[in-house]
Amino acid sequence: MKTLHPKSGLFESRAIGEMALASRIILYTLLLGWSAFVLFPIYWLIITSFKNAATVNQGPYFLPWIDFQPSMHAWYELFVSDYEDTLRAYINSIIISLSATALSVLIGSMAAYALSRVHYAPNLITILFFVFLVALTWVSISAFDVDWRVALAVGVALFFFLARGVGRLHQIHLHNGDILFWIISQRILAPIVVVVPIYMMFQSVRLLDTHMALILTYCVVNMPIVVWLMFDFFNTIPRDLEESAQLDGATMFGTFREIVLPLSRAGLAATTLLVMILSWNEYLFALFLSTTKAQTMPILVAAMNAGERGILWWTMSVAIIIMILPVVLLAVILQKYISKGLLVGAVKG
Amino acid sequence: MAEETENRNGSAKSISIRSMNKYYGSFHALKDFSIEVEAGEFLVILGPSGCGKSTALRMIAGLESISSGELLIGDTNVTEVLPKYRDIAMVFQSYALYPHKTVAENIGFPLKMAKVPTNERHAAVQVAAEQVELHNHLDRFPSQLSGGQRQRVALARAIVRRPSVFLMDEPLSNLDAKLRGNMRAELKHMQSELGITTIYVTHDQIEAMTLANRVAIMKDGVIQQIGTPKEVYSDPVNLFVAGFMGLPPMNFINGTITAGKFLTSDAEIDASGIPDTKQATFGFRPEDCKVVAAGKGLIDANVYTVEMTGDQVLVTFDLRGGHLVVKMPKDFEIATGISAGITLDKNQAYFFDSEHGPRLHANQI
Repeated sequence: MKTLHPKSGLFESRAIGEMALASRIILYTLLLGWSAFVLFPIYWLIITSFKNAATVNQGPYFLPWIDFQPSMHAWYELFVSDYEDTLRAYINSIIISLSATALSVLIGSMAAYALSRVHYAPNLITILFFVFLVALTWVSISAFDVDWRVALAVGVALFFFLARGVGRLHQIHLHNGDILFWIISQRILAPIVVVVPIYMMFQSVRLLDTHMALILTYCVVNMPIVVWLMFDFFNTIPRDLEESAQLDGATMFGTFREIVLPLSRAGLAATTLLVMILSWNEYLFALFLSTTKAQTMPILVAAMNAGERGILWWTMSVAIIIMILPVVLLAVILQKYISKGLLVGAVKG
Repeated sequence: MAEETENRNGSAKSISIRSMNKYYGSFHALKDFSIEVEAGEFLVILGPSGCGKSTALRMIAGLESISSGELLIGDTNVTEVLPKYRDIAMVFQSYALYPHKTVAENIGFPLKMAKVPTNERHAAVQVAAEQVELHNHLDRFPSQLSGGQRQRVALARAIVRRPSVFLMDEPLSNLDAKLRGNMRAELKHMQSELGITTIYVTHDQIEAMTLANRVAIMKDGVIQQIGTPKEVYSDPVNLFVAGFMGLPPMNFINGTITAGKFLTSDAEIDASGIPDTKQATFGFRPEDCKVVAAGKGLIDANVYTVEMTGDQVLVTFDLRGGHLVVKMPKDFEIATGISAGITLDKNQAYFFDSEHGPRLHANQI
C-alpha cells in the first residue's frame, strides 16, 4: 500500500484547510498595511491634541517625548477655559441625535411593518389630485390673498367630495414596492438640493437655530434608511409566527409585544445605532439651520478652522477626539450585531 | 367511535361548514365547500398543491376571511369572528415556534395569553410536555431541537389548552420519511386519546389513509369526494380520485365502450352493463391484477422494468408509450423486454367517462 504524505511548500498548503506559507505572509502583510493606513490618522489626531503651535508648525513630529514634549494646553482650553462652548455643542449633539433617532426609528419602523404586512394599492390619480389641491390651496393663499382658513376648508371639502369620482376616472394602482421605492428615493436625492427650501421653511415658522429644526430635519432625512432596513428585517420574520400567536389567543398588540418586538430587537438596535451615527455626524443641515444656540459638534469643529488665530489644530484634535468617541463605541456595538449575523435571517428556526 | 371520545372529553365540538366560498379578486379559490365534521372526528383534506385545501383550513382558522357561506363550531356561528374567539389550535407546516422563547414558554404561550395563573400554567405545560416526551427539554430554544422535537413542541402547544378543534396544515411534511411514520402513529394515538375534533390538510395520501376517519379529496377548489379511506380508495367517484389515491397509482387505458365492450387497439375487455361512451377510460389497481403468460390475460404488453421494493415486486409494462404497473409477490421473477399478459377480476375493473371524469357504473338490472 502506498501512502501519500503531506508536502510542505512555499506556495502549497501543508494540509487540508491550511494556508500556504507564502499566502499567509502576503495576507498578513496586506492586513497590517491596511490597519496602519486606517489607524494612523487616529494616532495622528491623538498626538496632535498634545502638541502646540510650535510643535505643529516645525514638524512633522511623530513620537511624543522623543520628537516633542506633549502638553495638555489644548485639553485645558477646551475643558476648562472654553468649556461652555464645548459642553453646549456636545449636549446639543446628544439631544438632537437621540431625539431624531428615537423619532425616526419609531415612525419609520411602524411604516416598515405596515409595508411588510399590509398590501396597499392606492390610486395614483387620487394622489395626484391631492397634490394638485394642496398646490391650488397654497397658490390661492399666497398669490391671491385668500384667507387661509377659507382656502383650507375649500381644499379639504373638494378632496372629500371629489376624490372618489376623480379616482374612478382612471386607475393606476401603486403597490407596496412603489411606496417603498418612493420613500427610499427621498434619500437618493442629494441633501444640498433641499437645504435652501428647508432653511426658508424653518425661517418662516421661526424655528431656525433650535433643536426642533434639526430634530425634525434629521428625522425626515433618516426615515428612508429606517424604513428600508426595517422593511427587510420584518420580512425575515415569518408570518406564520404572528398567525400562530393570533390563534393562540393573542390580541394584535399582544402579538406585536410578545412576538414581533422581541424578534426585531436586533434589527431595531442596529438601525438605531446606524441612524444615531448618521445624525451625530451630520454637517450640512446643521450648518444652515443652527448658528449658536443649537450648534452641534461637527459645526464646532469646523468653526475652529476659521478663527482669527489661524487653524487651531490642537484644540480641533481634542474636539474631534471627544466627538468620535461615542461613535467608535456605537460602531463596536454595531459590529457585534453584524458579526453575529443578527441583521439578516435573524429568526431562522 | 366519535361518541365514545366525546363522552370522555366534553370539549370536542362538531364543525359545520356550509357552502364556504373564497374569492381572491376574480379568482374563485374555494367553491361551495361544505362538510359536516362530527365531534371527535379526524377529517383529512387531501389534494394536490394549489387545490385550495390550505385556504379552506385557513378560513376555518380565521386567518382568511370567508367570502360567502357559514362556519359553525359546535352550535356557534363563528363565520366572522377573529381566530382567538374560535377556540382553535393550529399546527403549521413550519411549526411556527417562537424562536426567542424556550420550549416551556412556547408551550405555555396560549395559556399566558388566556391569563392562566403561573402555577397552573407550569403544571399544564409539564403535562403537555410529558405527553409528547419533551419534559427534559423545556429550557431549550427551538433552534437547539431536532425536526421531530420541534414538531412535538408544536403539538404540545396545540394540546396544552384543550381546544375544541385542532387544525393541522401538513404538519409532517418537513420530517424525514422514518420520523414521519412514527409521528403519524403518535398523532393518531394522541388524537383518539384526547378526542379533539381534527381537520388535517395534506397532499400525502398515506397520511390521509392512515389518519383519517373520513377523507375529503379536493381538486381546483372543489371537493370531489368525501368518505372513509376505504370508500374513497375502493369506490372512487371519478377519474381524479381514482388516479390520486393509491401508490403506485391506478393503471389507466383509454378507449371506447360500445355494446358492453371496452375497446382499444390492443384489447377488448368485458364491460357489460356499462353505458356506451365515446371516450372512456378503463382503470385497475396494480394490486388487483396479475402477470400471466402472453395471450392468457386481458392485455398483452412488453415488460419495461422490474423493481424490487422489499415486500413486493413492481412490474411495469409498456403499452403504446403508456405504463401499466402490476404488484407481484416478492419472489416473482420476470425478464425485462419480453411480452406478458395482465389479468384481473371483472369486478376489480373501473370504467370512467374520460371526457367529463365521472365513474361509469353498470346499470342495475
